[in-house]
Amino acid sequence: MSSSVLICDDSNLARKQVLRSLPEQWEVDVQLAKHGLEALDVLRSSAIEVMFLDLTMPELDGVGVLEAIKEEAISVKVFVISADIQPEMQNKVLELGAQAFLRKPINSETLVSTLQEHGIM
Amino acid sequence: MAYELNEDQQDCLQELINVAMGQASDQLARYLDTFVFLTVPSIDLVSGKGLSDSLETTEESMAMVSQGFFGYEGIRGEALLVYKHEDSDRIGDLLGYEPDELSVEEQLIDISSILTTTFLNVFATQIENQMSYSAPKLISEMQGKLSEHLKQLSFDWDMALKVNINYQVTDYSFNCEMVLLIPEAAIENIKTVIDRILEEY
Repeated sequence: MSSSVLICDDSNLARKQVLRSLPEQWEVDVQLAKHGLEALDVLRSSAIEVMFLDLTMPELDGVGVLEAIKEEAISVKVFVISADIQPEMQNKVLELGAQAFLRKPINSETLVSTLQEHGIM
Repeated sequence: MAYELNEDQQDCLQELINVAMGQASDQLARYLDTFVFLTVPSIDLVSGKGLSDSLETTEESMAMVSQGFFGYEGIRGEALLVYKHEDSDRIGDLLGYEPDELSVEEQLIDISSILTTTFLNVFATQIENQMSYSAPKLISEMQGKLSEHLKQLSFDWDMALKVNINYQVTDYSFNCEMVLLIPEAAIENIKTVIDRILEEY
């Protein structure tokens, strides 16, 4: 059975980088969102198991998405993939419930090992 | 010649800038021991006159550090770090200097070098390039110097790609704007580099 995955990033290239880094053997049903508001629409209307979330985005940023997920008690495992690598930001997203913080640009090796560490696959 | 970037090229450049901006802000945050708030950068085409006019209107309240950068494959441009005077006067406090320990000019150049070189080194690494830099110059204080400098910068181009990045130091309400200018002769070169990256995807 495939896992439902949401990739949220305002950059088309960044979304492709995440897609390309997903493990080949992992069967996934992928949805894409260009900013936080689109991501919340998807999260509210369908059951998503894993989300890869950027932080610096228009409309609603990644921190806003994490706050909404927490407030609405939406069940989803969030992995933040961001260029904003300041320690304070990394701590903030973990406090808001993200499983892990991964720095951009993402590569397959890092993504796969992080997913394995969190028992996703 | 069309200097505009298509949607994919613009998206790719923006993502390269995001990564570079993230690491530059991390360096700034460590240097100032604070947090730097980031927003989505903007990319526009600007004429030499348009740039000069847009900055002239507020130049009396600004200080600017200007530094040229040069890479392989004809990648080159100018990085401008623009500060409001009220902020630049506060930098010594942010850095923890005693009065007279280091001039405001030296402090501005220090902080600008961190931002510019970190940003451009990370940017260059992503495009498998390497940058060298001219000495940073502080352009401020004297009325008219800013627009004069911009006119000198733009003497060999009519159009440039202009990238605006805002670094907002939240604890101290301190704001610094980075403006990268890539002149028309280098735009085609950067488009070639971007197209090479896009081909991989």
